[in-house]
Amino acid sequence: MVTFFAKRLGILLFTMLVVSFLIFITFEFSPGDVARNVLGPFATDLQLQLYRQEHGLDRPFLVRYVEWLGNFLQGDLGYSTLYKTDVNDFIWGRIGRSLILAGIVFAIIAPGCVIFGILAGMREGSRLDRVVSVLSMVTTSIPEFASGVFLVSIFVIWLGLLPGTSPLEAAGGWSVTSQLVLPVLVLVGFYLGYLVRMVRASMVEVMTRPYIRTAVLKGLVYRDVILKHAVRNAMITPFTAILLQLNFLVSSVVIVEAVFAYPGFGRMMLEAGLYKDVATVEAGALFGVFFVVLTQMAGDFSYMMLNPRIRFS
Amino acid sequence: MSMRDHLEQTHAYLPRLTRQFKEGKVSRREFLRTSTLLGLSATAAYSIIGLAEPGKNQARAAAGGTVRYAMRVMPIESPHTYSWLQDSNITRNVCEFLTRTGSDNVTRPALCEKWEASDDLKTWTLHLRKGVKWSNGDDFVADHVVWNLKRLLDPAVGSSTVGLMKGYMMNDEGSALWDANAIEKIDDHAVRLNARAAQLAVPEHLFHYPAHILHPSENGKFGVGSIGTGWASLVEHELGKKAVVQRRDGYWGTPASLDAVEFVDLGDDAAAIVAAIASNQVHGMHEGTTTQYAALQKIEHVQVHQVATAQTAVARMVMTNPQWQDARVRKAMRLAIDGPKVLQISYLDLGLPGEDHHVAPVHPEYAELPFLKQDIETAKKLLAEAGLPNGFETEIVCKKDPDWEPIAVQAMAEMWKQIGVTVNIRVLPSAQFWEIWDKETNPFSFTEWTHRPLGVMVLGLAYRTGVPWNESKFSNPKFDELLTKAEGILDVDKRRELMAELETILQEEGPIVQPLWRSVFTVMDKRVKGFEVHPTLYIFCENWSLEA
Repeated sequence: MVTFFAKRLGILLFTMLVVSFLIFITFEFSPGDVARNVLGPFATDLQLQLYRQEHGLDRPFLVRYVEWLGNFLQGDLGYSTLYKTDVNDFIWGRIGRSLILAGIVFAIIAPGCVIFGILAGMREGSRLDRVVSVLSMVTTSIPEFASGVFLVSIFVIWLGLLPGTSPLEAAGGWSVTSQLVLPVLVLVGFYLGYLVRMVRASMVEVMTRPYIRTAVLKGLVYRDVILKHAVRNAMITPFTAILLQLNFLVSSVVIVEAVFAYPGFGRMMLEAGLYKDVATVEAGALFGVFFVVLTQMAGDFSYMMLNPRIRFS
Repeated sequence: MSMRDHLEQTHAYLPRLTRQFKEGKVSRREFLRTSTLLGLSATAAYSIIGLAEPGKNQARAAAGGTVRYAMRVMPIESPHTYSWLQDSNITRNVCEFLTRTGSDNVTRPALCEKWEASDDLKTWTLHLRKGVKWSNGDDFVADHVVWNLKRLLDPAVGSSTVGLMKGYMMNDEGSALWDANAIEKIDDHAVRLNARAAQLAVPEHLFHYPAHILHPSENGKFGVGSIGTGWASLVEHELGKKAVVQRRDGYWGTPASLDAVEFVDLGDDAAAIVAAIASNQVHGMHEGTTTQYAALQKIEHVQVHQVATAQTAVARMVMTNPQWQDARVRKAMRLAIDGPKVLQISYLDLGLPGEDHHVAPVHPEYAELPFLKQDIETAKKLLAEAGLPNGFETEIVCKKDPDWEPIAVQAMAEMWKQIGVTVNIRVLPSAQFWEIWDKETNPFSFTEWTHRPLGVMVLGLAYRTGVPWNESKFSNPKFDELLTKAEGILDVDKRRELMAELETILQEEGPIVQPLWRSVFTVMDKRVKGFEVHPTLYIFCENWSLEA
């Protein structure tokens, strides 16, 4: 158990180090100049040169990387050239808001996919199964930016039931909660379908197993067959997959946050990336890596716990 | 005192100008602009032309309310070096200007109460308004103005005002004021500018967007709680998210109606802003793009506001590059383009076709030349004469945002194909574009130019030999000579003659292809009264009021 976690922790730290270095290199060799971004398009070359000297931007690449790394390890996440303040001042709020969004989405799709997947898979080929399957396929094939636009056209412009953007300020008569509905709906629509189909597939496969046939032949009530035998076995693989969806949510939020002007982590990364704000992108990317590896670990661990065959091998 | 005496007392040139107007030699627009620049009050000027002054009798709703305005919330610490407009839009509510150029292109007094120009236009006396108090209780005096003007023209500060006023206020190198006495304090409420060259547009230059009048004690820094003379104070500013200006007591002017204005940053997504307007989360927005136009028109509770401007973009060729050295090649590139078609395709016909000389019909001194229609045959002939009968291949650089620019470039590339010139298009993100927009290593590029109220202003900024923003390295001594002369001439007819010559030089040998002038539009909730769209998208929130 200890070795399990220690090994994973080691991999996590190594991954973060490599990623941080790769990001630094990417920024170094990609177009876009920090001095130009800060001083504007009409600054003279002399002013740009002075700015670079003042901020140590003309020192060798490795020197700057090591300095950044040293600061980061001490908890100083650096200064954002885009937001003109320490990264520490705003990044946690942004992460928090995106986690709220992801959390609500997750709280809906986790039980949702289980219920619909089970219902669809337990009677393969039934009308319920067909309806659920088709709906899942349709919703999953529509990308977030498209479904975002459709939902806005219907609920905001045509019906006027919901606010068009989600800056999370109670203004214009829209509560903050109402501003969460559409972003959540877009993400749920995209991910629920996929997970439902996965749970359904697993369920269908389990229902063909001999022990299910035995349980039915034994005379067990059908509901007990499903709940006591089928579900537990069917959920082993999907459980890890559901946890892994959290990783995709981290990237998906970028699109939803841009479309709905949600002041979260994704939008911050987008703006910082376009502006070449190294400190913010590094801090954000490393948080992303941390989160992803954490969910992977949780996934592996849960799989081990759920499947007795692996636990005791 | 008769009107004639009043005119003569204000400036020696005014009676002649008035007569020219009555004889039909000067348009209304030109009369309004020139007379007010020379010191005539806007009210008197409008009464002479027989029109009601706009904005005077606007319905004003009951006091109070907060208007929410969707706009990028940018860093605002250094007003004198602002290079965008959105930052100035926020700061303008707190720190005002000496003058103000309205959406009718007429410059009116603001912190100045009036100004006087000498007959030779080299000496300008600015009379400051009395009884104005800063928000910290200090009296507003000439010392403050002198401090601000000196700082704006200090090369070490880096304000773009230097580029604007260099020709008449600074020495040749641009390293210092041309004379120690160039900015002179007369008494507590008067400042005199002693210029080394005649300049008609001094009051307009004082409204250049970084020229906010700041309180000297803050040393050029601006932020929440800064001292100002304006109708509001800045109470909140979170970069990229929100800024709030709130009405304050003690403002010298007509008390504002609104309680506050909230600037909400909704990012760059055009659809998100439309959605926010549709669901009443914001009342208005900074500027509409062509992709939003159709959707915005359908929203019933907002009014679309539109104004013709001198905003444009030019495909400029670097003259020192061997490819563009032959004037015939450059003219051929111009003749290949059908301006009205490009306007229709890329900008929904919201604007006017360009004429390749960067002087717009909205400019008062615009001289109308016969319209340069698309002429493929002549273009091909010119290319053949220049030794390129089979055309040639080249590349043009343009930026991705706003959408109309790549669309216009694509339309033009199709037209250039017709004369045998294959133009490959390289689209760059804005940040990257602005790094190379004025470099000689970028020989062919589509650059955005914003509205300026005067034709001579752009010509001076872009085509005079050696100036910082002369991206095409255009250098024509005759052009420079005519331009300097034009900048000092009061007589509209004579100036227009010179403008015609300048325009012709640019059409014949100039370095640009200019397809269109674009109109600027935006929307505002119908309940907000007193809103007017300005060609440069400035907003004047003290005039707004909100109906319940």
